[in-house]
Amino acid sequence: MKRILIVDDAGTVRMYHRKILESAGFAVEEAVNGIEAIEKSLQRAFDLYIVDVNMPKLDGYGFLRELREQKLAQVPAIMVSTEAESADQSQAYAAGANAYLIKPVKPDELKSLVKLLIGEPR
Amino acid sequence: MAFVKVAARDTQQDTANPRALEYDALELQLHDESADVRRWAARDLVDCPSASRMLVGRLHEEGDASVREVILTALTIRGDDIAMTGLVECLRSEHVSLRNEAVEAMKQLPEKMAPIIRELLGDPDPDVRIFAVNILESLRHPEVESWLISVIETDPELNVCATAVDLLGEVGSPAARLPLHRIKERYADVPYIQFAAEVALSRLGGE
Repeated sequence: MKRILIVDDAGTVRMYHRKILESAGFAVEEAVNGIEAIEKSLQRAFDLYIVDVNMPKLDGYGFLRELREQKLAQVPAIMVSTEAESADQSQAYAAGANAYLIKPVKPDELKSLVKLLIGEPR
Repeated sequence: MAFVKVAARDTQQDTANPRALEYDALELQLHDESADVRRWAARDLVDCPSASRMLVGRLHEEGDASVREVILTALTIRGDDIAMTGLVECLRSEHVSLRNEAVEAMKQLPEKMAPIIRELLGDPDPDVRIFAVNILESLRHPEVESWLISVIETDPELNVCATAVDLLGEVGSPAARLPLHRIKERYADVPYIQFAAEVALSRLGGE
């Protein structure tokens, strides 16, 4: 089963994304900031990251930059943010995001994008 | 510029006030090439009368996260008007790390933040209002719940309301139930609000 790491400091957002992704058949793990996400990534492989921008300790951009410098460079990542301006999206892509979603995400939109990036859960 | 200022200082005054020379040297070191030197300078400046001005000025230029951390800690220790204004200005920065670090720093200052949080919750920039709600998380102030209820009842931006709904689930009381039901009706077509409000309601009890 394909495994996705949700990286977000907001517990309710993590629960919401988890519910959507598990209902689509994916396995899900969570991290509350970029530091914890890096630690989890070093322990096991993920097929996709869903990453918030604003987080304490290490924000989403910083996490993606770290990720892209490591052996996990090819793992796709979706950045999610409340910020809808094109400059924010450009910054996300420059940091290594493969896609950008504006919060709050719609369930079908998230499921479709995930399947586009990594295919079916199994 | 700072070197010129030191050289031009009246020698007799410097002799009378050796701390002033020390602070001038620290201000120079705050702009040193070495992050270690800048970090120590930020730490040692905390007792200087004009430290907040110097530290706030440096904060927006500083590229090293460990130096920013010391500067932010020094500003929270000082907690004067210049320090607080400087921290609030960080919320408008395009620098994501700086914004988030400032939010975390302001969470350490509940008594200082309480008088200005209402102003931040009414800021024209919705991102600033979201950060203000995030700061409320650790404010431990008796009005936190009523501020959050006011946000979900009146703020026109979906994501500001969503952030407040999340927090109401953690710090709210049964008094938040009716406003949560109302925001569910207001955003009946937004799945996240439906989800987050249900989570909050389940945590609040009182029904």
